[in-house]
Amino acid sequence: MSCFDELSAAEIARGVAAGEFSAEEVARASLDAIAARDGEIHALLQVTEELALKRARELDEMRARGEKLPPLAGVPLSVKDNMNLIGSRTTCGSRMLEDYESPYTATCVQRMVDAGCLPMGKANMDEFAFGSSTETSYFGKTANPWDTARVPGGSSGGSAASVASGEVTLSLGSDTGGSIRQPAAFCGVVGLKPTYGAVSRYGIVAFGSSLDQVGPFGRRVEDVAMAMNALVGPGADPMDSTSQECPVDFLEHLEDGVEGLRVGLVPALCEAEGISGEVRGAVRAAAKALEDQGAQTIEVELPHIDDSIAAYYVIGPCEAFSNLARFDGVRYGYQEPGCATLAEQSEKSRAKGFGAEAKRRQMLGAYLLSSGVYDRYYYKAQQARTLITRSYAAAFERADVLLFPSAPRTAFKFGEISSPTEMYLSDMFTISSNIAGNGSISVPVGPGPESGMPLAVQLQGPAFKDRRLLTFARAIERAFEAEGAVAPACARKGGELA
Amino acid sequence: MALSEYDVRAIAEYARIGLDDEELREMTAYMNDAVAMLQPIVDFDPAGVEPTFHPIGDLSDVMRADEVRPGLELEPALENAHATEGRLFRVPSILGTGGLS
Amino acid sequence: MRKLAEVLRDWEAVIGLEVHTELTTLETKMFCGCKLSHDDEPNANVCPVCLGLPGALPVPNKEAIRSIVKAGLATGCAIQKRSMFYRKHYFYPDMAKNFQTTQGPVAFCMHGHLNLEVRGQGAAELPEDAPRERYASTPSVAMNAHGGTGALALDEAAGKGELTRIEDGYEVPIRILRIHMEEDAAKMTHIGGAEGRIGGAAESLIDYNRCGTPLIELVTEPDLRTPEEARLFMEKLRRIFLAIGISDCSLESGSMRCDGNVSLRRRGQTTLGTKTELKNLNSFKSLHDGLEYEICRQAEVLESGGTIAQETRHFEPARRRTQVMRVKETADDYRLFPDPDLAPFDLSDDFIEGCRAELPELPDAKRDRFVAELGVRRSDAEALAGDPALAAFFEEAQASARKGAASVANVLLNVVLGQWRAAGESAATSSVTPAQVAGLADLVAEDAITSAQAREVAAAMAKTDEAPEAIVDARGMRQVSDDDALMPVVEQVISSSPSQVRQYRDGNQKVIGYLVGQCMKASRGTGNPKRFNELLRESLG
Repeated sequence: MSCFDELSAAEIARGVAAGEFSAEEVARASLDAIAARDGEIHALLQVTEELALKRARELDEMRARGEKLPPLAGVPLSVKDNMNLIGSRTTCGSRMLEDYESPYTATCVQRMVDAGCLPMGKANMDEFAFGSSTETSYFGKTANPWDTARVPGGSSGGSAASVASGEVTLSLGSDTGGSIRQPAAFCGVVGLKPTYGAVSRYGIVAFGSSLDQVGPFGRRVEDVAMAMNALVGPGADPMDSTSQECPVDFLEHLEDGVEGLRVGLVPALCEAEGISGEVRGAVRAAAKALEDQGAQTIEVELPHIDDSIAAYYVIGPCEAFSNLARFDGVRYGYQEPGCATLAEQSEKSRAKGFGAEAKRRQMLGAYLLSSGVYDRYYYKAQQARTLITRSYAAAFERADVLLFPSAPRTAFKFGEISSPTEMYLSDMFTISSNIAGNGSISVPVGPGPESGMPLAVQLQGPAFKDRRLLTFARAIERAFEAEGAVAPACARKGGELA
Repeated sequence: MALSEYDVRAIAEYARIGLDDEELREMTAYMNDAVAMLQPIVDFDPAGVEPTFHPIGDLSDVMRADEVRPGLELEPALENAHATEGRLFRVPSILGTGGLS
Repeated sequence: MRKLAEVLRDWEAVIGLEVHTELTTLETKMFCGCKLSHDDEPNANVCPVCLGLPGALPVPNKEAIRSIVKAGLATGCAIQKRSMFYRKHYFYPDMAKNFQTTQGPVAFCMHGHLNLEVRGQGAAELPEDAPRERYASTPSVAMNAHGGTGALALDEAAGKGELTRIEDGYEVPIRILRIHMEEDAAKMTHIGGAEGRIGGAAESLIDYNRCGTPLIELVTEPDLRTPEEARLFMEKLRRIFLAIGISDCSLESGSMRCDGNVSLRRRGQTTLGTKTELKNLNSFKSLHDGLEYEICRQAEVLESGGTIAQETRHFEPARRRTQVMRVKETADDYRLFPDPDLAPFDLSDDFIEGCRAELPELPDAKRDRFVAELGVRRSDAEALAGDPALAAFFEEAQASARKGAASVANVLLNVVLGQWRAAGESAATSSVTPAQVAGLADLVAEDAITSAQAREVAAAMAKTDEAPEAIVDARGMRQVSDDDALMPVVEQVISSSPSQVRQYRDGNQKVIGYLVGQCMKASRGTGNPKRFNELLRESLG
């Protein structure tokens, strides 16, 4: 028959519901694809075969009893390894949590499983989500499925690669400064960072609590919309006081088109230094495609947006220092044996448990929060945040969405960027919407003419207007006929659905 | 006013991150690079702008009812700890065995 | 060492208190749904949130916020609508996250005060002519820089802080800087060292049951000047917190804990001396005696030319001394910043007024009402009003008493309370009813029974549920006031006590007490002692 990687999430769920194939057969097809492809890609740190098969059998039994199946029944899912799932380890790509098994499941993961997804595995990531290339994982790098000499982006590189390689249909990632959108762009898949608060953070190992947001990866905008319906669930999560009810059907206006809507282009961002010609071209092509479908493009200003990177690299490390203070080897996590005192044990456990970048961020945060320094950095960064948020509000008075690059260039080679501070600039287009909290999405626009690597554009919308982003993303997807593309080297390797 | 290795050592001690001499040198270089990168924030003149500590606008006063929820059983609560004793977590001497009496 | 009274003639003691109170009357912890309990097995009440597991998030307990707002309203604080939780970082495993969630420069409650009445012996601790200069309220300048909003209420309500002389003592307002909300730490047990102390222990064990218990911390301005004032402040605060029902306020079990900051300066000086922080003040007596000792110790050090180190000291009540716990060389830097997992608060008027509406009558107001409206003696009223259950019992009893509330108060405090204590009971668990106590008080007020008989009746009431009148009748205990019955007793005693009679006639009035006692004995406690006294005097001319 066919390879399961050719099917959309909706097609899989329909097929399972109609009895064309069982959920267990889909699970086995996904396991087969993982076995065939992941040796080279290393997108997954664990394959949770038992959990996936157990869920699949439950769904098949439901169908046998004549019960209505949930909307994502039988859809293979990977989740970033900073998301807790009972029965699996949550390593965060770190030696610190090499053996850590969470006694509870993250709300977002539970909601996806409740919606019918099969939890296939835990996806590789930069250690504790500090990075833009997935090179800092303690458990080895993940390769870009389009070119295994290149990075998949990060920090949710494993999530993006597992979808781009067709090992799974959907993945969950987390985005603190671009960690969904940048790897989505590098791997040629759709990646949505919802508005802060739309999706519960309960059970996601925190990096920057005021910046982190969970979102889906898929090869189709429609798949991402279906995942969002599951993620926002029945309402705000009582376990996350920053989550909010989001009573929206993300599929409802997907095919509405963009006629008469306004797309804001920010000249300062599109012409910024360091953007490759291909990326510039992609943004122009996407703008034209939207115009061709009846949208109007206008130029808007985003004053203070330049301050985003500095503000982010203040707020992020401060929150990270605080959130990672709990990893002291006492209740869980790496513990240095044979220490005479508690202080020695904490110091050595943290020294050996954390990798270099995790230490750097915590050190920077501990410095920036120190007395006398706090007022010059943290407090002012939060003032800058106010101005950045106001800039967005003003821009969205004129434009329905903003169109940006997702990343300054296509996926780079392993080791190509070695300076931490240079690496920080990969997030120059994504960080501002984490600062302001509004939603944004990266949509592929096909391979680059020079690099042959996936190109993408980013759309940003007002807070809690994430459904509008999907309508625009769908318009771009339609224009570039980019939907469903599996990285050519991986496509149809294993994964046959009998 | 660059950070010295002495400053960085003090921060590392506070943050319980052990650094050897080589790591201390590298960390000091990194910290100074990073702090230089953050200069725009220091130069930024926000003149009376209210800070936004949370990107969630009008969200406030989120509270829960004072109702008991089931917690963790003992076994899953302790299972990730390396050192336990009976129902308790165990840590090495706080002050060292030769400490204050 | 010199005595406190002497020391305070030369030195002014400047004392501030930090009082931590666990909100024990709640069902659950501050940021998670774990049960609050003092006696469950270790780590029985833990969850991902209070164990600080990766990915867990806090959600504030609404009743805890209501409790602190009530505490603020009851102590004259301005309730801050806008405030936030902050993270205070220190690496110590009693805080599972290695930070404590607490409040920043703006607490839910700011700038309140309590008026202290210091009387009798305690008032004498403060020299008559002592000047009493107050400091400007601890500045809140940094407040807006840390995200606080709006001007803070000033402490004008507390007046100028001047001392007012009253009968047998003085009255003085003590300012409260703030009351903030935070979470308690886990309990650690140090083993392998001497006496379970931390020093020398080979290892420590951690029980996280207490971790995350809602805790409110009240900080006073340094307005207290004597150990007695500190003790009275703490007693008064405890009575208020008990009245509003936010805690069981047990100093013994540690649900209410007090640290004292104390420094000395020469009388007349305006600059502050170096302070020490005093811990382990876990009874009112320890609070008083610990401060007393520390004041005398500091005076001795200063008078012998030494200097006071800024340090934390542990009071050892048995040895009546304080011991150094740790020396603070530099100010701690806790990297305080707003907790990004918790939305800021913007309490509505409805929320605050809802708390206000639930406030019961506070102890001072209740005491004043008992005095003014019910004619109870002030000291009795004070004792009754300080215990909400006792006050409620009293009010119910006095409502059914025919002979006035003063007698009810007297019988309750002098007869019934002692019996409760002996039986391990309280007003809340009493085996006698308010109506029985009212009946008993009436019998005493009518001189129908003696107070010795009242004790016997009260004991019988506890066992039988019977009305006190019925007990008195059944036992034939009624006090006899009939002269026809008393006179033969008087005559018999006079004839059998010739030497005492002679003494009386020679002018020794005191001996009448002996003769009354003899009459009481002869009547087996049933005669009216007052009438015996009168009849004896008449007969002896």
